[in-house]
Amino acid sequence: MAEAKTSPSQNAIVAMQRISKSFGANRVLSDISFEVMAGETHALLGENGAGKSTLMKILMGAYRTDEGRILFAGEDVTALSLRERIDRGIAMIFQELSVLPNRSVAENLFILREPLAFGMRVDTRTMVRDAQALIERYAFSLDASARVGDLAFAQRQMVEILKAISRGAKLLVMDEPTSSLTIHEEETLFRTIGQLKQGGIGIVYISHRMADVLRLSDRISIIKDGRLVGPLDPSKTSIEDIAAMMSRPRGDAPLPTATVPAKRHPATSIGASALEVRDLATSRKLSDISFSIDPGEIVGLAGLVGSGRSTLGKALFGILPDVSGHISVAGEPVRPGSVSRAIAAGVALVPEDRRLEGLVGGRSIEENLALPRLSDFSLAGPLGPMAKARIAALFRQYRDDLNILCRGPLQKAQELSGGNQQKIVFAKWLAMKPKLLILDEPTSGVDVNAKRDMRELVRRTAGDGVAVLLISSELEELLDLSDRILVMAQGRITRSMGSAHDETGLRALLQAEAARQTSVHAQGVAA
Amino acid sequence: MKSSSMPMRASAMNFFRDHITYVIFLAITLYFVLFAPHFASVSTASAVLRITAIVSVMAIGMTFVIICGEIDLSVGSVASFSGMIGALLLDQSVPAYVAALLVLGAGASIGAVSGVLVTKLRIPSFLVTLGMLSIFSGLALTITGTRPVSIVDDDFSNLFWNGSFLGMQAPIWWTIVLTAVGYYLLHQMPYGRRVYATGGNAVAARFSGVRTDGVKIFAFAISGMTASLAGLMLAARSTAGNPSLGAGLELDVIAAVIIGGTSLFGGYGSIVGSVVGAIFIGILGFGLLVLGLSTSIQEVIKGAIIIIAVSLNRR
Repeated sequence: MAEAKTSPSQNAIVAMQRISKSFGANRVLSDISFEVMAGETHALLGENGAGKSTLMKILMGAYRTDEGRILFAGEDVTALSLRERIDRGIAMIFQELSVLPNRSVAENLFILREPLAFGMRVDTRTMVRDAQALIERYAFSLDASARVGDLAFAQRQMVEILKAISRGAKLLVMDEPTSSLTIHEEETLFRTIGQLKQGGIGIVYISHRMADVLRLSDRISIIKDGRLVGPLDPSKTSIEDIAAMMSRPRGDAPLPTATVPAKRHPATSIGASALEVRDLATSRKLSDISFSIDPGEIVGLAGLVGSGRSTLGKALFGILPDVSGHISVAGEPVRPGSVSRAIAAGVALVPEDRRLEGLVGGRSIEENLALPRLSDFSLAGPLGPMAKARIAALFRQYRDDLNILCRGPLQKAQELSGGNQQKIVFAKWLAMKPKLLILDEPTSGVDVNAKRDMRELVRRTAGDGVAVLLISSELEELLDLSDRILVMAQGRITRSMGSAHDETGLRALLQAEAARQTSVHAQGVAA
Repeated sequence: MKSSSMPMRASAMNFFRDHITYVIFLAITLYFVLFAPHFASVSTASAVLRITAIVSVMAIGMTFVIICGEIDLSVGSVASFSGMIGALLLDQSVPAYVAALLVLGAGASIGAVSGVLVTKLRIPSFLVTLGMLSIFSGLALTITGTRPVSIVDDDFSNLFWNGSFLGMQAPIWWTIVLTAVGYYLLHQMPYGRRVYATGGNAVAARFSGVRTDGVKIFAFAISGMTASLAGLMLAARSTAGNPSLGAGLELDVIAAVIIGGTSLFGGYGSIVGSVVGAIFIGILGFGLLVLGLSTSIQEVIKGAIIIIAVSLNRR
């Protein structure tokens, strides 16, 4: 846990000094100093919303810092634009790669600066030769004339990295680079990173996977609530130490706890579970999933990014086509693979991405509320008109009930704030009187007050006898709300436990499970 | 006082902006009324409505497809094909009403096939319906070896074009009936809400349990059916099934829908807007004709005004 003391050294490729940033009254970053040396991998850890991406946007020049300055290779770049910083050699490798799939590796590497032959023709031969030379310099396994679309994801990532380096990048920011890779490909990426370090390139490595971070990085920094902890020396720290540093101390919960008394419906009195899942699997992501939820029970689903939590939620809701296994809701079997069957059985899903998956932004609040059960609002059978008065009553009920702030039923959904939008998505499913409510990151991107409202709503819903499956990356929220927590890693449920753990313990456990599953899987691949 | 007048003005501005095509429409009509001889008369109005009935009917079906975020380029050739089939059925002494129902069913089926190809095989609707356009204009020509088939059945002619009821001619009645049915379907029934949701955000619609594929297939079927109705009206007007009657109509139909405020990207639009768009195009053509401009210059002016109207109507 010893801090590796570093004064601003002449060897630093980039030095961000005393950076602070506020959005309105909301202070996102305070007094952060962060350095990367040439040939160093500096890992950056932190919860969703802790401020990692804000810091990186300030580094790239997408945001201006309020205070402090940024030195790049000794030059003050604080006032420079994003374009100018890229020209100086700061590059970001995005999760969604920006390569052209239908063109060759060489064409991707030399786009906008193709070597020309006589008559303004693109000199393909020189281009392929130069590209191959570049590939060999970093000892990557790539063929310069291969079509990028035919390559595996890790190789596309290499193309992206090479493109940045060939344009003179000296610092690479990698944001969750392993999130789309298979275990095998991860090894390739780690080797790539080793080669880059030898070439004197500085790397900022952002990841949720502490095991990778400990193995790869030379130094580790943690952002928590807008402040920087560290840098730490990975050889003198452990997953447990880092987990403790990322967690809030106990008793320091920022949100007031339950005001609604939980009136639980014990499973024995009803007989059937609200949800019973046996041997659920998908062809790519999930395997061997079996669990059940009782009416009125809140079951939390914990796991790292990419562990398959959202996929499980979507599989239960019938939106994935290739699901096998048995699902029954309130004792009735539901064949997977159809949203309408799932809805008819009483399953509701509040999806993770409310703008893309939850709302039709250009339509009115009222219309969004009525969408999952339009047929119920038809007067006089399937050919009848819509019962507008009943839809209006539905709107008034949920506006008052969930305290939705809006101008009226006809306001467009996209004009509302994040928290109010989420309440609309919530309300549209509550109106259906579900038996199972699946919540995927229900409080992401909403403000503190809306967060409190949402938590209260989840408790109230469960109190009415609805089974809740809660997917959340905020461990504090999972521990606060759930009666029981299931841990997922590599597409399996690896552990079930009561909510007796504290946040630090749970965080360390998730990391350990992910590392364990990875090694099990890697042995399987090697065999 | 001042604080209440500001929102009033703002909402008036909003109204003006949202209905800019209607403003342009009124301005151009006013221009013709003032400068074109004898333009403001009942006979002019009914002539314009009769001329535009065919485009209006097709535009009503097309509105469903475009709000879904798709396009149907095949409507012109489906109209030609339907006219031919109708004329051939009448030639075989099939009663007019039976022939009409058969043709409408055929049109709906053609549309449904396009819809299935678009949704199940995931081929862009632009390509599917471009292919359908070619197939059905070719079929319309092939059936009789390019010869027109004349229609002598008076029931048929009266029903679709020459008849009148309560002092209004058949094509105007068809426009009114189709507008009412389309309005009910799109703005009153649950199906309409599903159409808007599908075009507005297909992912969220699927996550809400809407069967977006079915919604789109039905929209294409509606468009195919209105196209075949238009084909029957065209055949009745010229008292013959002619294989090239509907050629090129798809462009006027799409222009009418877009002028009427429907977004080409889906999610927004209205039936009445599309009908107004069709009438707008009709008035423009008729007014320029009355002003004595040649048809070739008419096309140029018409095209320019359509572009201006749509660009002002952008969302």
